[in-house]
Amino acid sequence: MRTKTLSAVLAGCAFLAAGQASVADGGFVLGAAPKPAFLYFSSKKDGGWTQAFDEARPKIEAAIGVKIPFVENVAEDALQIRPAAEKFIQRGYNVIIGTAFGYSDTFKQLAEKYPKVAFLDGSGTVNAVNLQSFYGRTYESQYLCGMAAAAASKTGKLGFVAANPFGPVIWTVNAFEMGALKIRPDATTTVIYTGAWNDPVKERAAATALADQGIDAIGQHVDTPTPQIVAQERGIYGTGHHRDFREFAPKATVCSSVWTWDKYLAPALKTIKAGEWKTEPYGAFAGIKGGATDIACCGPAVSKPNVDKIMAERKAIIDGKHVYAGPLSDREGKERVAAGAVLADGDLWKMDWYVTGVITQK
Amino acid sequence: MMEFLIAWWANVPEAAAAYALAALGLLLCERSGVLNLTAEGLMLVGAMAAMGAALQIEGYPGMALVVGMLAAALVSLLFALLVVTLRVNQVIAGLAIVFFCQGFTQLLGVMFDWQNHPVPGLLPVRIPLLADMPIIGRVLFEQNGVVYLIVPIFFAVQWVLHQTRAGLRLRSVGENPEAADAAGVSVPLVRFGAIVAGSALIGLAGGLLSVGGVKMWFPDMAGGRGWIAVALVIFARWQPWRALAGAVLFGCIESLVPRIAAAGIRVPQYFMLMTPYVITLVVMAWTAWKGRSRSSEPGALGQPFSREERR
Repeated sequence: MRTKTLSAVLAGCAFLAAGQASVADGGFVLGAAPKPAFLYFSSKKDGGWTQAFDEARPKIEAAIGVKIPFVENVAEDALQIRPAAEKFIQRGYNVIIGTAFGYSDTFKQLAEKYPKVAFLDGSGTVNAVNLQSFYGRTYESQYLCGMAAAAASKTGKLGFVAANPFGPVIWTVNAFEMGALKIRPDATTTVIYTGAWNDPVKERAAATALADQGIDAIGQHVDTPTPQIVAQERGIYGTGHHRDFREFAPKATVCSSVWTWDKYLAPALKTIKAGEWKTEPYGAFAGIKGGATDIACCGPAVSKPNVDKIMAERKAIIDGKHVYAGPLSDREGKERVAAGAVLADGDLWKMDWYVTGVITQK
Repeated sequence: MMEFLIAWWANVPEAAAAYALAALGLLLCERSGVLNLTAEGLMLVGAMAAMGAALQIEGYPGMALVVGMLAAALVSLLFALLVVTLRVNQVIAGLAIVFFCQGFTQLLGVMFDWQNHPVPGLLPVRIPLLADMPIIGRVLFEQNGVVYLIVPIFFAVQWVLHQTRAGLRLRSVGENPEAADAAGVSVPLVRFGAIVAGSALIGLAGGLLSVGGVKMWFPDMAGGRGWIAVALVIFARWQPWRALAGAVLFGCIESLVPRIAAAGIRVPQYFMLMTPYVITLVVMAWTAWKGRSRSSEPGALGQPFSREERR
């Protein structure tokens, strides 16, 4: 999603501000059996974000026993979102699932215009009685990816190709490094921001530059698998984002942070069906346990003891371990999370600091 | 430090190649008096068609690039039809072609499922003996085939423009189409030829991005590089060697930006991301300051030619 630049500014405040009044009066009951429909932000074969939704779709269909239609390439533009959604609503679809940050405002208007229709929006930022934005705690899966990258690395010098520095990206970068430190106390993560979500030419230049510096494991939070392909060409390792990137770089990719939206959406749709749906005023924000993200792990470059360590951490996270648990200081030495506390969701969204071991530009 | 410089310079030719090819193609076209803004769109066509061909005929990346060139040349016929035959405003026609190509390549590429399929693509060719030289060997003689090809293409463009009768006709059509017309040169034919030949080079630049560089195809993967090529031609003042120098300058910056971050040098990253555009402005201002005396800007650039109309 190229859109997340804007959400840098908005995500934090929107999550805090949205929907406080609207949810106060209680739950939402759908008049009829749920008939969901998807609006995809890009093509269903985009290899990443949207394809993860499309791969979850048949599983959701099986779970709730309803066919789910979709429409592709609905750009983040009210003139495209509105007719696409309304066409579904007029044909009797009463749960509209969006997949982009930039749908937020239009979905908010639609939710007011159609109070009997339920709206869900992946990576959206607004909420109402009948509108739920949802996103994943990607720092959990990226923490485990950092462990896998450090386990595969021979030098302990890790790299990371990311789009733009703001909360949801910075939390993956920090988590990646913290995971790496768990395996190798000397691990460092050098980050390159490309300034774009979908510029494979810049991603290749970034990954090549990292490899030229002797870095031998490259994590990523951009939309194309280009960094993994570079890693494969250079005979080094990497970790993917969105989907299992072993599809593109079977030798190089040792772990991927993946979306498992069926595990979040199928139960959500069942709750809607049961008439017990209550939207969360600050957005649904699920991790591995809540079914939004998980890992596809591990490649052969990760040794068996390390695989066991990664899986043990995964289990600990499911059992309630918070990656951002105190005491935690940033690389300047300022305390960010006090001992015994965990970082609040609001602070996650506005994260603008790095842990020790992350090497970035200013 | 030396290692850093060599690794950086070794990446410059490939980063510069797409800019150089696109700029030379645009220059060829614009010297005939047709203002060409289609580069971004035609690069997308070249990138998509070349990848489509690379996926169909495995193992011949050269063939794939030729397909990319042909596809871009084919689409440019539409542009030529608009601006030469129908005499549509060249700025508007150029922008329309870019938007058309953005939608069209996405539609076709997704329909045929060409997205996200890595190909082996163009591999670096090591030139024996020369590649063994210190520094220069790695920087200049371990590049992919198209990078080497730019040298003959550059001299060919230079030679055609300045040493051949065809080049003379092309330039005269660009400078003063009425005079060329009176001298018996077919203005529409020359402009058609210039557009198609130039667009083939732009298509090659696009193919180089997908099959040569990234080795995968994504919608909209040109990422604004076509527009930079348009700017390059302007600040090169329509002279091939300056276009080439400008392309190398941009190649240097584009490959330096991630390297500064990779080396852990802490400079403000937004400053780094804006450097190419700052340099564009600086060079533009500098060339304007130096005066237009050495510019080769065609006199009739952007003006449709109609035999019956007086200007």
